[in-house]
Amino acid sequence: MHSHILHFFALAAPDFVLGPDANPAERNILGLINKVGLDIGKEVIKNRAFAQETQKILAGRATHLVWSLPGGVSKGITEEERKKILEMAKVNLEFAKFGLKLFEEVVLKNQAYVDLILSDAYQTVTNYMGLVDRNNKVNFYDGMIRVVDTEAKEIAKFKPADYLQHIKEHVEPWSYLKFPFLKKIGWKGFVEGPTSGIYRAAPLARLNVADGMATPLAQEAYEKYFDTLGGKPVHSTLATHWARLVELIYAAERQLELVQDIEITDPKVRVIPNKVPDEGVGVVEAPRGTLYHHYKTDEKGMVTRVNLIVGTTNNNAPICMSIRKAARGLIKAGTIVTEGLLNRIEMAFRAYDPCLSCATHSLPGQMPLQVTIRDSRGKIVKKISRD
Amino acid sequence: MAKTLLLGLGNSILKDDAVGLRVVRALGERMTREEVDVQESSFANIDLLDFLGGYDRLIIVDSIKTEGGKPGDLYRLNLGDLDSTLHLSCPHDINLATALELGKRLGIHIPGEIGIYAIEVEDNETFCETCSPMVEEAIPRIIDEIAQREQLNSSTSILDSKRLV
Repeated sequence: MHSHILHFFALAAPDFVLGPDANPAERNILGLINKVGLDIGKEVIKNRAFAQETQKILAGRATHLVWSLPGGVSKGITEEERKKILEMAKVNLEFAKFGLKLFEEVVLKNQAYVDLILSDAYQTVTNYMGLVDRNNKVNFYDGMIRVVDTEAKEIAKFKPADYLQHIKEHVEPWSYLKFPFLKKIGWKGFVEGPTSGIYRAAPLARLNVADGMATPLAQEAYEKYFDTLGGKPVHSTLATHWARLVELIYAAERQLELVQDIEITDPKVRVIPNKVPDEGVGVVEAPRGTLYHHYKTDEKGMVTRVNLIVGTTNNNAPICMSIRKAARGLIKAGTIVTEGLLNRIEMAFRAYDPCLSCATHSLPGQMPLQVTIRDSRGKIVKKISRD
Repeated sequence: MAKTLLLGLGNSILKDDAVGLRVVRALGERMTREEVDVQESSFANIDLLDFLGGYDRLIIVDSIKTEGGKPGDLYRLNLGDLDSTLHLSCPHDINLATALELGKRLGIHIPGEIGIYAIEVEDNETFCETCSPMVEEAIPRIIDEIAQREQLNSSTSILDSKRLV
């Protein structure tokens, strides 16, 4: 929840509230607050802090949780903690509803923005992957991995442990990050469309693979999302922001439901393992996509092999393709490349909320950007850098 | 009494990346001044707003990679230089300068004095719990230098120290 709140309000909303062509010095959370009011800024910080605090109560720390143990977790929650989480969860749900309302007011009631979302420059036609429950509803923690094709037809549904039968990773010499693709279709290059093996993960994908949301308000929002955007699947990269807010509603509703579950304070939170493990695969839906952890151990239970596919890695090829398509769609012969135009290209990248430093564990945690503009013969016309 | 937060940034298992954490940890161990708190973190962004309120001074120690830089060199940076350090900005978060400005506008008591120390590193991509030799060798000197410049050793207040100089 805290990740989705931060991404929408601090990184995505300024593009729409201030406008994609606004002065970059103003096109940020500070400019957003200037435009929509200080009280909304306070609510953003408060609700993000509540979501963080809930994780801290549950797992010791808000980020990089420290409660996971073989067989369960290290601690449960007390009745006092439950009541505290309950109060925060109620506030979080109201805020999630506000987020969706703000999106409707600012984006959906502005036809230019709807047109922008639906414009060809921001369409990337891929397959989609995400975790679903037994009713094929979006689930973040449990269930089966479902894959749909470019027309939203199910083409695979598998247990997390079988992921290697379905996913393979392509390597390019120019990137330190791999490019996962659907094994059965194969790597066909950086191409979109029905013959491509490339899939996307994260909010846009999760809504495309599911038959709905498991909570009532999120289901309502899900239906409006597809009705407005012309049905399933939605290939518009910019729609990811809306999908993120639908998920925020779901997460808030689910949190409220769980914290009122009678079993939530049950102290039985761990089953001590009585066998030495040899191999295990765990999958969750992280904010930026399906997260795979695969471990192999020796006879003492010591880890000998690890394979991770993290959220952003799933989207590596689509990110490249979406940027290329936005650039090709927006820059034509004679186009004057303005700051606003560069931002519109960056919007195709930003929608993925990429976590590149986390995905690779190397290179600086900052994001230097370089744009090279070429003419139709490939000759470099201009280079622009932002270090 | 003015309260100080000494914040070390880095990743403890990525070789030289841990240098900021190690320096603040060492400073914390030898410090006698109660009005200085020490915190280690992997990032400094919007999360700072959750715990920065109430401090008058913020001292950040982070790693940096500059072209032609010598591993172990220590730089003192201003808030405006932040984009070049390794953990102070992130593609999916706001940077420290924005976080601090946001805090101010939201009425949070943000430190009026901010000091940023950046240590030139050689290798921040290898999984390892010790630093490369040149950085390792520089750590004691860096600790002394920061302690002296920021007057972190003394049990006297900053104002008292200034009088002694």
